[in-house]
Amino acid sequence: MSAISESIGRVLRTPGIRAVALVDMGTGMVVGSAGDQTMDLMAAGPGLAEEARLAVRSPGPGVSVDAATVTTMTARSLYLTKILEYSGGEGLLLYADIDLAQTNVALATLQIDRLSPELLAS
Amino acid sequence: MTESQEPVFPFRATGGPRRMTAGPLGEMLTEYAARGLSGTVRVIGDPGGLVHFSQGGVVAVETPGAPGPELLLSRPGQISGSSWALAYAAAAAGGQLTAELVRRKLIGAARLEALLRIALADAMFVLTAGQVDSCEAEVAEPVCLLPLDPPADVSWLLAETSRRLAVLTTLPSQLVPDRDRVTAKARPLDQRARLDDAQRDVLALANGRRTARDLAFALGRGVFAVTGELDRMHAAGLLAIGPRRGAAPVPPLTGPLVTRAETAAAGHRAGTAGQAEAVREISPPRELPRRRAAGRGGAHHAEAAPSGSALLRVLRLGFSNPQPSDGGH
Repeated sequence: MSAISESIGRVLRTPGIRAVALVDMGTGMVVGSAGDQTMDLMAAGPGLAEEARLAVRSPGPGVSVDAATVTTMTARSLYLTKILEYSGGEGLLLYADIDLAQTNVALATLQIDRLSPELLAS
Repeated sequence: MTESQEPVFPFRATGGPRRMTAGPLGEMLTEYAARGLSGTVRVIGDPGGLVHFSQGGVVAVETPGAPGPELLLSRPGQISGSSWALAYAAAAAGGQLTAELVRRKLIGAARLEALLRIALADAMFVLTAGQVDSCEAEVAEPVCLLPLDPPADVSWLLAETSRRLAVLTTLPSQLVPDRDRVTAKARPLDQRARLDDAQRDVLALANGRRTARDLAFALGRGVFAVTGELDRMHAAGLLAIGPRRGAAPVPPLTGPLVTRAETAAAGHRAGTAGQAEAVREISPPRELPRRRAAGRGGAHHAEAAPSGSALLRVLRLGFSNPQPSDGGH
């Protein structure tokens, strides 16, 4: 089994998370994904990467972006993009689509925060 | 793979850097994938390269036009040279380098897989964005240092490549990654202070002689990612683009064409396809020429690899089988 699938599969087991993807920040390429595939992640990847790049660059130099997270909320969903690592223009993002009706947002994001450090290390 | 599955006959196709899809090469790779190829597809062109297949999936793409995973792994903060050397030596003794790197905890398995996938997609983008003259398959176990496991699905890879080619056509700067040189513009100190590390690194190297491809190698980043970065920096007024590097010389079409009659596969291909077209044998030698002491006199002669180019074969023949002179010595 793919190490990436195994890794993001752990995030997908969190209640209320419909889809998870790992996105290359430099190119917007979806490196791996799991869960509900109705969303065209290949089309969404570049936009997610662009948002993350803006988030990284907006604080200015010397500001840590290790834990930067970009969220977008609609009436039914929370879309969360978390920067797992970033250095010299390259990095990896974790994208999660959270169903607001199925979970407590705070608990879901807390669980993602707990799992994130191990996602790429395992 | 059985002979009836032998998929290839050479094709010739040319294209510029503004192609939107992988074209005939993509169709050929799709066909190999459908037939479950395990082997290597040699793509001849500029920059050309090798596409390694395992059971119909792509495990690696090598091209001189894009940094390989070894270079991406050598970036600061990744794997140190000494650790790499130790893992390489251990893997050479009978193991896989990817497994060895993970076993030594030099990199996580998921992170390594991501990096290999990113490098593979970048190399495929560079391969298809360039000129493709012909391609041919060698059915054998692929030999590559860092194979992607599990292999990449060809349809996914080609879709990603098409996306990148489409992005390339819409860049406001119209930057051509292997042609356009970039130059840093002079900026006031306060504006330079607002740059991040990646932008500063680019500006330090953008001396008017390097292209996006050159910068990718120098920075240890992908060509597509650097091209996007340069485009954004150009839009921000940080870089000037130009002058454009001249087109790479295309091998002349005159001269002897060598059919691959040495291999049964090539004979089969030529026979079944009824192609009058032959493949120019421009494959690089499998082994570089070496110097070797010829005797006590200290003379040297070049020894070319058996499968070297025509020129090297001529050199080898000339040195190892000297013609007797008419002087009657």
